[in-house]
Amino acid sequence: MQQKSEKRQLGQRRNRLRTCRTDKRTMAQRRISGGKLFITVVYLVAMCRAVPVNDLLDRASQRSDKMHSLSTLLTQEMDSHFPPYGRMQMPRPADCHTSALQTPNDKEQALQVSESDLMSLARSLLQAWVDPLAVLSTSAITLPHPSKSSISSKIQELQEHSKSLGDGLDILSGKMGPSAQAISFLPYTGGTDLGQDRVTILNKFNFLLSCLRRDSHKIDSFLKVLRCRAAKLQPELC
Amino acid sequence: MGIKHLHRNIYLSVCLSVCLSVCLSVCTSAPESPRKFDCRSREKETFSCWWEPGSDGGLPTEYRLFYTQERLREVRECPDYVSAGANSCFFDKKHTSIWAEYTMTVVATNALGNASEEFRITDVMEYVKPDPPVNVTVVVNSSAPSPFLEIRWKSPPDVDVRTGWVTLKYELRVKQNDSKEWKVIDIGSETFFNFYNVYPGLLYMVQVRCKLDHGKWSEWSNTIFAEIPKNHQLEKYFWIFVFVFSLVPFLMAMYIVLLKRNAVKQCLLPPVPGPKIKGLNAHLLKSGRSEDVVNALMGNQNFPPVAAWTEQVEDFLLVSDSDEWLLTDSFASEKNKDIFIIPAGLHLGLEIQRRDLSVDLNTWEKTDDSKEEAKSNFSNMEPINLPVEKHEFLNGEEKSIQPLASTSYVDIQQHPTLTDYSRVKEVNDNTILILNEEEIPHGLDAEEVKSEVSVPDDYSRVKEVNSDVVFLEKGDSADGCCKKKEDHYTDWTNQNKGFCLKMIASGYVDSGPAFSVK
Repeated sequence: MQQKSEKRQLGQRRNRLRTCRTDKRTMAQRRISGGKLFITVVYLVAMCRAVPVNDLLDRASQRSDKMHSLSTLLTQEMDSHFPPYGRMQMPRPADCHTSALQTPNDKEQALQVSESDLMSLARSLLQAWVDPLAVLSTSAITLPHPSKSSISSKIQELQEHSKSLGDGLDILSGKMGPSAQAISFLPYTGGTDLGQDRVTILNKFNFLLSCLRRDSHKIDSFLKVLRCRAAKLQPELC
Repeated sequence: MGIKHLHRNIYLSVCLSVCLSVCLSVCTSAPESPRKFDCRSREKETFSCWWEPGSDGGLPTEYRLFYTQERLREVRECPDYVSAGANSCFFDKKHTSIWAEYTMTVVATNALGNASEEFRITDVMEYVKPDPPVNVTVVVNSSAPSPFLEIRWKSPPDVDVRTGWVTLKYELRVKQNDSKEWKVIDIGSETFFNFYNVYPGLLYMVQVRCKLDHGKWSEWSNTIFAEIPKNHQLEKYFWIFVFVFSLVPFLMAMYIVLLKRNAVKQCLLPPVPGPKIKGLNAHLLKSGRSEDVVNALMGNQNFPPVAAWTEQVEDFLLVSDSDEWLLTDSFASEKNKDIFIIPAGLHLGLEIQRRDLSVDLNTWEKTDDSKEEAKSNFSNMEPINLPVEKHEFLNGEEKSIQPLASTSYVDIQQHPTLTDYSRVKEVNDNTILILNEEEIPHGLDAEEVKSEVSVPDDYSRVKEVNSDVVFLEKGDSADGCCKKKEDHYTDWTNQNKGFCLKMIASGYVDSGPAFSVK
């Protein structure tokens, strides 16, 4: 319920912002009398109340926190009934489809990255998981695992969060500049089929979930760093 | 000689070296590879790892750790073997990469060889476990309306929450000192909490712990104790309040009682009626004149009740065939209260004898005292007198006789009955009225008879049982008075013995000695 209402709010805000932008452009083009202009500008400003960036970032980081929590639970649930096949035989994290993306790996690096870049990274990672999440969702229904229904519901929840977070980040990036809106393309090449036999399917599933956990944590960390940076007026957030 | 010495020396040295080598190979060996690898990161900025060494083979063994990172191709050695203790490696901020895979190789080396083992750290985040929160303070806030615990704490040191790099979530648990169950509360990211579920006079224990970025929980912090003071002041106020509020209605009640004390007295202590003796003057008693007292108490010594009583007795008119049963007043009075047996057998025997002749109406009563008298009387076949108000019958009043309880007085009911005494055959003592069926003209009077004393033609049933009188209806002997006891009296016609047992209101007829009627 909360998600849907937030979705709606984000969507409404987006529409409002779009209308604000288009209105401003048309305004700039038409320079008629100063008096009329002034009145219309004042009217538009009053209409287009911008939602504060802090608020948006706060909501976005809450959403990403929830996503990371879900992915952590998923890996734990998988491990409870299916111990890893063997750490040596498992595909390496370097084989994740998002490992090509250069991200800060410690605090100093993360604090040195600009806000726009952090936003771009977060959005890229989020976008990279849209397709794999769909694959995971379809595979979870027929997963040879005892708690597959719980896993399936968590993945669906993840998809919803991912969608709404993506919409919110689109709005945020629009406020932050063009560099924030650049998204690195990280295609998923694993295909829709996870494998034929039970062991392969479970291994692939496990591997994907571990990649997802890592990336969701990255998104969460970057957004929280952004939130604290933007909250200079409200130090109690951080 | 010299050559011999040389040979001996060579021989000895070779022997020694062989022995030494043999000895060494037996006593010492190359080390075993280390086992069990574990790491921990406290704040998502540094981490340290430990291994468990295997057997060292009896020789001093050196352990070295080499690692590679996901991104770096080169192999590096552990930057710090000391800070984290023995058999450990500490990675400081420069050498820590989050979200990167580490491949650790621990090599054990001694003089005889080496052994190595590879360990893989997928992500340092998997080993994040912070320190417990610090500066936990619990303050009892005693403000109204009820006391509560103000619990405050601080994030563990070195954890950088300020820049948002780390998100801490806390968990709190509280329990009473003597209770077994902790109450666990999720806090979120705040560093304070107000706990309201406390009671005065109890001691509480509080602990806090935290987790970093959905990682592992830290250990619980040190236990903080807090005691809620007993709230005497509130209790005092409470009792004062209760006292004042109960005093007001109490005073009002007392006032009302005082006003209406007479009415209350009447209600609670109604006056006991004193004994009132006619002619007795209380003051007379007090004055103490014995003559007057005696007079007052004893009256005029006329004994009027006794006289009246005898008069009543004398009112009875006895009607009978024989003379012997004619009782004097004394007898009547004497027997006034006695109840006589008239054995059923006797009468019924009589009836049987005269079945066709008469209809008897029997009443039964019994005393033990009067048995013999009854017997003696009955031996004569003479029914006993009944001090019934026969005169009333003679007077033609239409009444039926119904004796009063346990006395000889008969309550006469209004009945369209007994217009004449022709039907009365016999009157026995006290309560027996025997009707002679002979004299009852059948047909016309049958119904009358029926309605009169509720004695129909057919006397087979007991029509009515009054206190001292049983109205018997005689019919078939088998259906006679012993209707209830039919099983006992199979052949009534042949038997003249036995009695009917009937339940009378005031007594019962027992089966006295059987009488055989000749």
